[in-house]
Amino acid sequence: MDAADNSSLTVEIGADGSIVVHGDIDMAGGPTLEKVILSRENSHQVVIDLDDVSFIDSSGLRSLLGASRRAQARKSSVTLRSVGPEVARLLQITGTTDQFVIESSRG
Amino acid sequence: MAESGVTESGVIGPVEIRVPPDPSLGRILRLAASGMASLNGFSVDEIEDITIAVSEVLIALIEHGSGNPVEVKFEADEHSFKLRGRTLIERFDLQHPDLVLCRSVLAGVCESHTIDLVDNRAHIWAEVTHKKIE
Repeated sequence: MDAADNSSLTVEIGADGSIVVHGDIDMAGGPTLEKVILSRENSHQVVIDLDDVSFIDSSGLRSLLGASRRAQARKSSVTLRSVGPEVARLLQITGTTDQFVIESSRG
Repeated sequence: MAESGVTESGVIGPVEIRVPPDPSLGRILRLAASGMASLNGFSVDEIEDITIAVSEVLIALIEHGSGNPVEVKFEADEHSFKLRGRTLIERFDLQHPDLVLCRSVLAGVCESHTIDLVDNRAHIWAEVTHKKIE
């Protein structure tokens, strides 16, 4: 598990290799998530499990969009799993839903 | 915190908070705003929008600021929740892509918002309003 000192976000790697996020993907937590994505994206398909995420803002979204852009450059994609209404709404507001493969949604 | 109170109509606030430009404090301000909005009768969906707005204001002022303390003020009335943030700043690129994304989120969750330099005095403020649905 990887945690930023003062953020409310923790990240772990699931049994299937997915990036499992717990907490808020905000200005404090976004860099933690980005660091984990960067460490794995060249050797693994990027699947991000958001089941335990109930808050995201534009700084957190930037981490996801950056991963998506890099994945597209590799002819790959970023998959979002268990997308909650908060994340779905931010994707809809910013018109960025199509930048990701949405594997599943909740709520 | 400068002042707070309850008006004759039962509205709680305003609340003013001054914080260092530390991203980890965003959660504290979101909690303060959501608590105040809840006490003023806002719905869960409205409170969600308010917390996003608080976060976006902080992003604008901290990520694009000059490392100075940030002052945030929350005000509620029977129809809206208003938040204002400001910090001293040396320069401010309103066209920065990250700030454009921030503003698009504000536009999505708020009834109105503005981000400006005031009198070109290295001083910025932001104000967003969320309309309360009766």
